[in-house]
Amino acid sequence: MLSTAQLEKIDLLSDTLLYDQAVSFIQRLVRVEHCNPLPTSQVTGLLNIAESFRYDELYRFVTHQRDRNWPPSKSDIKTFYSALEQVLSTMMRKSLREEFHLLTERPGASASEMRQEADALMARLAREFIQHLVAENGLIAAKMEDERRQQRMNRR
Amino acid sequence: MNLEMKIIREVSDQAENFYEDAVGLGDHAADALKAQHRSQMTELENIADSALKSSDIFDYIKKQSARFHYWRQAFAGHSDARIGFGERLKTYLEKDMTKKLAAICERLDIGDSSDEDKQKRRRIYLMLIRQFIHQMVAEYEYQTSPASIARKREA
Repeated sequence: MLSTAQLEKIDLLSDTLLYDQAVSFIQRLVRVEHCNPLPTSQVTGLLNIAESFRYDELYRFVTHQRDRNWPPSKSDIKTFYSALEQVLSTMMRKSLREEFHLLTERPGASASEMRQEADALMARLAREFIQHLVAENGLIAAKMEDERRQQRMNRR
Repeated sequence: MNLEMKIIREVSDQAENFYEDAVGLGDHAADALKAQHRSQMTELENIADSALKSSDIFDYIKKQSARFHYWRQAFAGHSDARIGFGERLKTYLEKDMTKKLAAICERLDIGDSSDEDKQKRRRIYLMLIRQFIHQMVAEYEYQTSPASIARKREA
C-alpha cells in the first residue's frame, strides 16, 4: 500500500530523526523524571504489537497500558505510556503531514483511504521509534544493574 | 570520474585512515569476547552487511551490550579503561565516523538539505561502517586465532 518513496523516506527519518528522538525520549524519562527503565515483560509486549504493523492495535495497547490502575510501585510504567501516547499523537496529528511530508492530499482520495494510509505510515514510523527506544532502554537497564552490582561489591 | 567511483575512492581512503582505530577496537573485542564468542562478531558483520539503516546497527550493538556482560567489558589497553566494548564501538560509529562522513560529503559537494542528498549521506555512512566493522573483525579474528593465543602464552 505504501509507495517505495514513502518507505525510503521512513528509513531516512528513522536514521536521521526517530533514532535520536527515541534515545532522548528514554533518557529523559530515566534521568530527568527518574523513572526505572521499562521492564522486560512490557518491552516484549510493546515490541510484539509494534511488529504487527497495526497502528490502531498499537495505539489501543498504549492507551490501555496508560489508563490501567497501576500500583504505586509500577507508576513509572504509566508515566512511560503517557509519554509514548503523546509522541504518537503528535506524530499522527502534526508531524506526518507538516514535518515528514509523508501524507499529502490526493484528488479523489476518500477520507477513509487517507485514514488507512495515515495508519499504515504511522505503523511503520511507530515501529521504528519503538525499536530504537527499546534498544536504548535495554542498554540503560543493563548499565544500571552493573552500577548496583558494583555498589554492592564496594559495600562488602 | 562519476560520483559513484568518487564515493568508492573516498570511502577506501577513509578506511586507510581509520584502520588503526579499527585495530584498537578489534583488540578490545578479542580481550572482551575471546575466541569463545566468535559468533557475536560474525553476526555483527552480517547485520552490518545486510542493514539498510545505520540505526539498525546501533540498535543491534545496544541489544548485545544489554544482553551479554562481555559486550560491556572494559579493556585495560584503552586510554579510558572504564568504557565497555559495545559502548566504545557505538560511540566511535556515532561520533567519530560522522566526522569522516562529513569530510567526504564536503569534498564531494553532497549537502544535507534535500532528501536526495540525505539518502546519499546515509549510503556513504553505511559503507564506512561496514568497512570499519570488517577491519575490526579481521583484527579480532587475528588476535583470537590459535597461533596468536599460543604466541601470547609463550610471551
